[in-house]
Amino acid sequence: MTEGGPILLIDTATTRAVVALGTAGGTLLEQRRWTAGYRHGEELLARTEALLGDRQVTLADLGAIAVGTGPGAFTGLRVGIATAKGLAHALGLPIVGIATGPALLDAARAADPAASGLVLVAPAGPNDRVLLRLGEAARIVAGGADLGLAADERLVAVDLAGRAPEEAVTLGEAAVDGLAAAMLRAAAARLAAGDADDLATLVPEYVTLPRGVRMPPPDEGVEMSGSEPGPASGGARP
Amino acid sequence: MSGPLLLALESSCDETGIALVEDGRRIHANVVASQVALHAPTGGIVPEVAARAHLRWIVPVLDEALATAGATMRDVDGVAVTYGPGLAGSLLVGINFAKTLAWAHRKPLVPVNHLEGHLYAGWLLDPGEAEREAPPFPLVALVVSGGHTFLVEMRDHLDYRYLGGTVDDAAGEAFDKVGRLLGLGYPGGPAISREATRATAHDRVFPRAWLRGTYDVSFSGLKTAARRIVAQARADEGLPADGREGDLAAATVAELAWGFQDSVVDVLTTKTIRAAEEVGARGIVLGGGVAANGALRARISGEAEARGLALVIPRPGLCTDNGAMIGAAGARRFAAGVRAGLDLDARPSLPLARPAATAS
Ligand SMILES: [Zn+2]
Repeated sequence: MTEGGPILLIDTATTRAVVALGTAGGTLLEQRRWTAGYRHGEELLARTEALLGDRQVTLADLGAIAVGTGPGAFTGLRVGIATAKGLAHALGLPIVGIATGPALLDAARAADPAASGLVLVAPAGPNDRVLLRLGEAARIVAGGADLGLAADERLVAVDLAGRAPEEAVTLGEAAVDGLAAAMLRAAAARLAAGDADDLATLVPEYVTLPRGVRMPPPDEGVEMSGSEPGPASGGARP
Repeated sequence: MSGPLLLALESSCDETGIALVEDGRRIHANVVASQVALHAPTGGIVPEVAARAHLRWIVPVLDEALATAGATMRDVDGVAVTYGPGLAGSLLVGINFAKTLAWAHRKPLVPVNHLEGHLYAGWLLDPGEAEREAPPFPLVALVVSGGHTFLVEMRDHLDYRYLGGTVDDAAGEAFDKVGRLLGLGYPGGPAISREATRATAHDRVFPRAWLRGTYDVSFSGLKTAARRIVAQARADEGLPADGREGDLAAATVAELAWGFQDSVVDVLTTKTIRAAEEVGARGIVLGGGVAANGALRARISGEAEARGLALVIPRPGLCTDNGAMIGAAGARRFAAGVRAGLDLDARPSLPLARPAATAS
């Protein structure tokens, strides 16, 4: 790792995946975005490799890994966080998980500074929506239900083209456009404060689970065993 | 012995397993984070919960495996990973983590079929064991687990001919179902096996899941019969047929557990031995979580011995899902030039088939 080296950002919470490079100070250098749908894993490493190559940055130059933790699609979040963990482990780099939802609101506000009372809405499963106001916990509402917006609140609709008011979709587009920059700002601030995440325990923020299922605390119910001792000779090959 | 050292990852279901395996046989480390207790309250695996637990445990399991082996990634010649079949969300965690490690450390990536891993567990040596003859070809392999029940013929490495398997439920599912009927909780396999050894009477006969003239089996009929038999036993003891109220006498539970297990063991053993005789096999290999069942192990080894067939049953820790079995199968694929690119994706329904070489 390189102290003060660039931050590599990965976000796979929306159907449009992004990899980006930012300075240690949190300024976006370059980003690559593509429509991943629900197959984020197929292109992520190739896109990352191309981004690094074009910027003439090697893995050894990197200073930190930042990754979006959602809320968002299960598939994408798993791919993004597993990849980010692999990179942080292999390169011995600090990792910071950045909540994608607040970063999208941040990006929407940057795109439209006059806007007040922004509310993020995104798909959660085939029928439900996740609704997020800054400073509040995300909640699930049924698609088509009244979102209960206040008069001065504006919707930021992500991954809902054709299924949300056009103005909300447009603001959502702007939010997605500015997502990498917003996340890099947040990541740099946390890294500067020495506030990196624990590589082992970092997990995505899920919002929806099958009905009746409780998500147990992450450390509950798992037992690790190294049941197989090493060979008689001990240790790895010379 | 000296051969390539593979880092092998398994995350297809509810065990996060990472191992370091040399030459496909010698285990340097085999660390498993098991989620069995996590899924016990729901009586089965919830995919979203399983995938998150994989993400939570994959780094500690890797660190523990490297530490146990006294190795670093520098010592590793390749990274093997399960890419199917299994739960998509669980597979994705291991695949993307493994891909990234292989890419960042510049190691070849070897995609492995989970079922192949169960077959190749039979090649792994026990701790302290210097050398042992490998299972002889041609052989017949029986894989029985919570998700799979099938027989294949292998005439050489990576060469599989499907002989037959369950047409409905896996044997392990039937164990889980009957375990619940008997009030033994989840998972059913170990509990039924334990109860069965306590049976003092052995006259409760459950129907056999024969599908005559084939190597196929069916367990759904056995499950239905088990429900009827358990309900009858409850009625005989004056208990409500299907309620949660009132427990069967311990002796009855043990007898029913024995009777059910005997049915499964009888069918699996008979089909396997017949297959071995009909294809002219020299040996039999067992794999999968149900292969840890003591009654199955005892019965099949008696039958194999009587016919002079070599029998290989991995020790119980290698029958359930683990990384070492992926390292064992991965070594054969590695030697055969099978490689994956950075676009490797999960294949939840991946069939067992000879892999194509991609590297020279
Ligand atoms: Zn398995």
